[in-house]
Amino acid sequence: MDNREAKFILSAYRPGGQDASDSRFSEALEQARRDPMLEQWLRDSVTFDAAITERLSAVEPPPDLRENILAGVKVSRVPHWKNRLRKWTIAAALILGATLGSLIWHSARPGHLAGWQNAALGVISSLVRQQSSFDAQSHDTGELLAWLRANHAPAAQKLPDNLAKLSSLGCKTFSWNGTPVSVICFVRKNGELIHLVTINARATVDRTRRQEANLVQRGGWATATWREGDRVYMLALKGSRDQLRSYLL
Amino acid sequence: MNAIDFQQLVDRQYVPLYRFALSLAKSEADAADLTQQTFFLWASKGHQLRDGSKAKSWLFTTLYREFLTRRRREVRFPKVELDDAREDEIAISPNINALDAATVSQALREVEEPFRAPLTLFYLKQFSYEEIADVLDVPIGTVMSRLSRGKALLRRRLLSKDETLGNKVVSFESQKSRESHG
Repeated sequence: MDNREAKFILSAYRPGGQDASDSRFSEALEQARRDPMLEQWLRDSVTFDAAITERLSAVEPPPDLRENILAGVKVSRVPHWKNRLRKWTIAAALILGATLGSLIWHSARPGHLAGWQNAALGVISSLVRQQSSFDAQSHDTGELLAWLRANHAPAAQKLPDNLAKLSSLGCKTFSWNGTPVSVICFVRKNGELIHLVTINARATVDRTRRQEANLVQRGGWATATWREGDRVYMLALKGSRDQLRSYLL
Repeated sequence: MNAIDFQQLVDRQYVPLYRFALSLAKSEADAADLTQQTFFLWASKGHQLRDGSKAKSWLFTTLYREFLTRRRREVRFPKVELDDAREDEIAISPNINALDAATVSQALREVEEPFRAPLTLFYLKQFSYEEIADVLDVPIGTVMSRLSRGKALLRRRLLSKDETLGNKVVSFESQKSRESHG
């Protein structure tokens, strides 16, 4: 080891002496003991490093930083029990929906709805039964719409006002005959769910190409289908058409 | 980690974290924000860390990654050619006693970023070269190289700020003016 190499290694030697027993420095330190010039260099280097450390240790953070950290985290943090409660609430809502949904779904005849609508209700049932999971989850519908757009999935251009007021749970996309379809699940005020399905108008059959909502009652499912721009939407919930109508406003 | 542990962690680490952030960020406000964000991430994700003894390393690593993420979002910084930062030895040492904390801190912030982060971690006395390698996710040899070169760069910056050496450049105009008046 020459002095240049020794200096290279000793540049990482901390001035506090914490590294004195580190074997990586042993040979370089030994060389410094043998070579007075290297020893002087090391002494100067350690003095310089200690002085820099001392100066930097005098840099004080803003006086309110500590309090801001503690207060900020306190405000932002969701306690674990709340997280658990939220998960259980969602799970309970999904299980309740699944129980009702499976009863109704199995007795429903799919003939009155278009293929993509049946496929969408199948996906929704799968979500409700927790046999599949959301592609993205957020209580902010805007975030879900942004996620859908970013992933080239059909996203609603405008939501009915009363639907927009609800908190979302998550979204899922699937392909129907090669056409992308998206589903967003919302939580209604009573804790039950309502689902918005979106598909490009080009992929649908003529009877869904109307701007006024076409309401269909299928056992416990109420669906409303309408077209707006180049999108066709289906809103679906477990309940009556009257309940569904309130979300079309 | 409960609330008391979190507070203890903040008390132990927020000052060195802030100093590290200050060496990386553009302003004190950015540094404070980076520090806060790091603790927020700890509060949201830190409980996943099973080994509590690695909390310090986790915080510094997270702060550094957060800094890199933010920097990527901003204008792409021109990459520093590491070979340009030569480690030539400097014959004259700055008079460190004449330099205050603010000046040293400023000089450190003027050192190019690839060298600044390991230097700060080193001078915070918090990290060995192995820990620096872990935090920055670079090989040990790279850490040693950057420390060696970084120290040379820091000396240069400090030298330029050290007015006690009396080697201030006097412009030709002012010298001529002095002669004509003398």
